[in-house]
Amino acid sequence: MLNGITLLRTIPAFLLLGLVTAANGFGSEPPPPEETGSVSLRLYQVDGSVPTDDPNSSVWSSIEGSEFKLAPQVHWPPRIQDVTVKSVKVKGVHNGQELAILVEYNDPTEDAADGAALEFMVGDKQAHFAHGQEMLQVEGGPVNIWYWKKEAGKALDMSAKGFDNLRPQEKQDVQAKGVWENGTWKVVFSRSLKTEDDQDVQIEPGEWRSVAFAFWDGAIVDGLVKEKGSQKAVSSWWYIRAEPSADNSIYVWVILGLGLAAAFELVIVRKLRKGQSA
Amino acid sequence: MKGPIFSGAIILVGVFVFLKFLLPLFTAPLPASLIYLYVALALSGIMIYGTMSAPSLEAFMGPIFRFLSGKGQTGPAQTARLAVLVLFPLLVGWQTYTKLAPSDLPPAENRTIHPAPPGEFVGLSNPYPKVPENIMMGKGLYAAYCSPCHGANFDGKGPAAPGFNPPPANFSDPGTIAQLQESYLFWRIKKGGVGLPVEGMPWKSAMPRWEVELSDEFIWKIIMGEYDGAGQSPRTWEEEE
Repeated sequence: MLNGITLLRTIPAFLLLGLVTAANGFGSEPPPPEETGSVSLRLYQVDGSVPTDDPNSSVWSSIEGSEFKLAPQVHWPPRIQDVTVKSVKVKGVHNGQELAILVEYNDPTEDAADGAALEFMVGDKQAHFAHGQEMLQVEGGPVNIWYWKKEAGKALDMSAKGFDNLRPQEKQDVQAKGVWENGTWKVVFSRSLKTEDDQDVQIEPGEWRSVAFAFWDGAIVDGLVKEKGSQKAVSSWWYIRAEPSADNSIYVWVILGLGLAAAFELVIVRKLRKGQSA
Repeated sequence: MKGPIFSGAIILVGVFVFLKFLLPLFTAPLPASLIYLYVALALSGIMIYGTMSAPSLEAFMGPIFRFLSGKGQTGPAQTARLAVLVLFPLLVGWQTYTKLAPSDLPPAENRTIHPAPPGEFVGLSNPYPKVPENIMMGKGLYAAYCSPCHGANFDGKGPAAPGFNPPPANFSDPGTIAQLQESYLFWRIKKGGVGLPVEGMPWKSAMPRWEVELSDEFIWKIIMGEYDGAGQSPRTWEEEE
C-alpha cells in the first residue's frame, strides 16, 4: 500500500490541474456581429496568382467579404454633410507574396473625379485616422495611403503625418484598377505583402494591421465637383489581417498531448494493478 | 453509492449551485472564472481532508483505484472504465488544440469613454450667465456645428453618426454629460478627439478640435445649449458632498 500512497499524493494535483485547464476553456464568448458593420477584413490565402487587375475575377465570388459603414468627413474643415457612398463591401486575398483588395460601392454616375483610397497605420505607433494628424497627449505614427482616381487610371502610393504633408512617395509600389458598371464601382488595389520602403505598411500574414477607407463622388453638381479633397466619405479604423499559412505544428502538439495523457494513464493503471496484487 | 467520494461530490455540486444560482438572488452574479476558482479551492480542500490519514486515504481513494485498475470488473463498470480511459487523453488533446488554434478575432479593445482631463480643465466654471439669450445662442451654435453627429435631438443620432467608431456621445443618456462637469465638456469640445489621453484612443475619435474654429465664448454657450436641450444638468461639486 506504501507504493499506492506515494502515487495517491500526486492525484489531487493532477485533478486540480485538469479542473483549472477545463475552467480556462470556458473563456468569454466573442461579441455578436454588430449591426453597425464589420470590424475586420480578412485577406484569404489563395494558391497561384491573385486577381490584381480583374475586379470581376471568379476568385472574388469564392470568398466572404466585410462591409464597413462610411460617414461624411466632418472632422476638419472644409467639411461635408452628406456623401454619396454610405458603405463599402471589401474583399481581400493574398498568395504569400502579393495581396489584392477589392472595394465595391454604389455610385450612380461614372465621373472623371471619382476616387477611392485605403489608409494604413505604418509602424508600431498608433496614427490618427485623419491623415495621421498630431495628437496632443500621444505621440502618433505616420500613415500610408493608396489612392486611386478614375481619370488617373492608376494608384498613387502616398504618405502622411498630419494634414499639410500628404505627399506621393518616391517609390510607387501600389497598382489599382477600377471598373464602373450599373451604378457600382469595383476597384482592385494590389501590392506586394512586403516592400523595401519603410514608409509603406508591411503586411505580415497572421498579424493585425489597421485600415481605413475613403471615397469621393466626382459628379459635377452646379458646375462644381461634388466631393473633392477633404470633402469625402470616410471610415474609422478597422482591423485587417492576411490569413496565415496553415500551421501543422499544432497537430504535433495535440498528438504529443494525447500520447502523454495515455502514457500517464498506462503507468497509473499498471502501478495500481501491481499494488493490488502485491 | 456512498462514502467519502460521494460526500465530496455532493459538497462540490453544492458549492457550485450556491455560487452560480443562489448567490445571484442576493447580489451581483460572480464571473465564471471566480466560480471555478472557488470550486477548485473546495476540491483541493476535500482532497486534503480525504488524504490526511492512511485509513481516510484508503476510504477516499480506494474505490477510485479499484475502478481504474479494472480488476474483477464486469458489465457497466467495465464500460465506464474504458470510457474514462479513452476520454481523458481526448480531453487533453482537445484542450491542447483549443489553446493553440489561431484565433480569427481582432485584438480586444478597452477604451475609456471618460478619461481624466488635464489639470488645467478641472474645476472651471461657465463664465456666462444661464440666461435665455445665451442658451438660445448655444443651441443655434450646436445646430450648426454639433448636430450633424450628435443629433438635433441630442441623442447621438445625427445624419453623419452611423459611420463612426466610437459613436458620437448621446447627451440625453444619463450616463454622459449628466455625469460630467461643465469644465469637462469644455475640455472635450475645445481639444477634441486628438486631445484624449492614450486610454481614450485619440486615433479613433472624429471629434473636431474646436479651438481651431470656435472661441471659448462659443464653446461655453454650446455647453449651456447642450444641457438645456438634452434636459440634463451638469454635475457640480455641491451635489457630490
